[in-house]
Amino acid sequence: MNKEYDIIVVGAGFGGPVAAKLCADAGLKTLLIERSENVGDKVISGLTIPFYGFIFGPAFIRDGNPPFERPSDGIINYIIKDIENGIIDIDDSLRVPKPLSPIVAFGYNTYCKPFCQWEAKKAIQAGATLKTSTTVVDFIKEEGFIKGVITDKGEQIRSKIVIDAEGSQGLLAIKAGVREKYPPETISLADTYDYEMAKENIDKIFGYTVKMCWGWDEQKIAPPLGYGNGLMVWPYRNSLHFMQDQCLRTDQKIVPNLKKLFDEYHKNITSKLPWWKNLVAPRIKLRARMWEGFEIYVGLNSTLRNYPNYTNGMILIGDVAGLEGTELCDGVPAAWFSAEIAAEIAIKAIRANDTSKSFLSKYNEKIKKHPIIQWSISAKNRYNLRIAQREHDEEKLKKYIHDGWGLGSLTYFTTPFLRLAFLFIRDDPTILTKWMKMYFRYYQNWIYDFKTKTYQEKTHHRPLFKQSLFLTGLKLINLWVKLFSVFKKLYTKTLINLADNANSYLSKKLPKMEPRLLKLVSLMDPISEKLSKRLIEFVKKADPEIFKVPDYKRGAVHG
Amino acid sequence: MVRTSDKFPGVEWVEGTGDFIKINDEKCTGCANCIKVCLGSCFEIISQKAHIKSLETCMECASCWYVCVEGAINFNWPQGGTGYKSEWG
Repeated sequence: MNKEYDIIVVGAGFGGPVAAKLCADAGLKTLLIERSENVGDKVISGLTIPFYGFIFGPAFIRDGNPPFERPSDGIINYIIKDIENGIIDIDDSLRVPKPLSPIVAFGYNTYCKPFCQWEAKKAIQAGATLKTSTTVVDFIKEEGFIKGVITDKGEQIRSKIVIDAEGSQGLLAIKAGVREKYPPETISLADTYDYEMAKENIDKIFGYTVKMCWGWDEQKIAPPLGYGNGLMVWPYRNSLHFMQDQCLRTDQKIVPNLKKLFDEYHKNITSKLPWWKNLVAPRIKLRARMWEGFEIYVGLNSTLRNYPNYTNGMILIGDVAGLEGTELCDGVPAAWFSAEIAAEIAIKAIRANDTSKSFLSKYNEKIKKHPIIQWSISAKNRYNLRIAQREHDEEKLKKYIHDGWGLGSLTYFTTPFLRLAFLFIRDDPTILTKWMKMYFRYYQNWIYDFKTKTYQEKTHHRPLFKQSLFLTGLKLINLWVKLFSVFKKLYTKTLINLADNANSYLSKKLPKMEPRLLKLVSLMDPISEKLSKRLIEFVKKADPEIFKVPDYKRGAVHG
Repeated sequence: MVRTSDKFPGVEWVEGTGDFIKINDEKCTGCANCIKVCLGSCFEIISQKAHIKSLETCMECASCWYVCVEGAINFNWPQGGTGYKSEWG
């Protein structure tokens, strides 16, 4: 039985279902194919989805209620200099200060599986067909065009466009002749342990912070910096992920004995790192051990970065298009952004009845102009750690860590962030209040336990006048932005200009400002703490209705 | 049929994958890169050639395929609905 669709999306990870949903929303006959029996069976990772993924990503995710495990309000970097003598430096400068934290988070930690399942469900609700337990093995090719897929059961399914969301290995993209196999230097193997831990212990020991460890190679406690990778611990609702990751080959073309190295390092860290040994180890129970390979430095290599991400009748999104982030090893926002852009171009192509390379090249143009995607795939701080290791230069080590996962990251990230934010505000002035609602809703949502489907604490509703005060506040912000956008042209020019200079301005000013800034934050602590508690109380007790975004517009895609 | 492994808790394997990883004997130089990166111990060296010991603990990460610079390893996805699965990823 051979069927025909407008769009076939291969792979139901983070990106695939987004593309499928948006195509189905546009009325296209859409098929989403997944090789595993259930969506999410094959995904493995510890994961923080950074806030910009939610803000600039698909509106149905931002304004919906996806399942996430824990807000994340900061990173604590442990710089292990001498583990035997307990000499460890800490850089925890990157945190959302109270009273905003933990309601305003810099990201949300999630398990991949329920998240991908949630997304796939949205795609189905929009009218897409999901076909699981089906491996795509090849394409139907006619006159230089991809015209559909061939499955492992020999079924031929035709479509006008195939959106390839298969993941970093890119077996299909290679078969289609779009790109080649990535070299092992750009692939990191992530050795992941899943531990159960009581919620009150997680709250106490981790709070809302992600912990990262960095150590000199000879410390044998975090994966060697000389190979350029790291060790991370993500707290969830009542469990945590421990992940050490390591590139498959060094710059010197040596393939390390990862099996030996991971076992040795895991043993060292769990028996020697003080906070793990004393606080975490006695309170955890191993639930799962698994691993996956993910791409990490593809964007730093100009040849790989310039591989095409489309061909006649086919568009590549997410990891297969080389869009994994280097710094946070997180490709989720880029997968979402590229899925949205791919859907937009695919819909236009089908309506124009032109699925040729030249039409689909608009996709690539938009990807190349996307400020956050481009920052994400080309950030170099993690990569540079190998230079610090080679020279055993502590100053460099600390600088790269500070610039990657400390406050210094603002000097890299502010320009792409502001640029995109101003473009979004220009197109939809109410987006500011949607962001705010997103944070409140997500915090409230976090109180909800997805497994037992109950709220951990019963929510009471506040007296109505305080809620209307909140809503009036939001309306005032909207009004202000709307008034402002009357002068749209001037506004855009001025603000984009401001955004473009933000990184270099901060590079100059931040080193001087930082100590004063941190001091100010700590001086404010007693007041912030009180305010934070009041804010949490308000959000907990507020009527969930007031944080909803009832008639959201589809998030605009910018180029 | 679903299998588990004592070595790797929290993970299941659905049988019927087929031979999704294959080694080309002529191209294999016995460099053992695949052995070094395989956390599931799926490979072994017999008379200076890599062989698949068992794919029973393979998590389909494709590391073996990436590090095989000779191109001796042919990697495909297992049959749909088979192979590695977990609740905790």
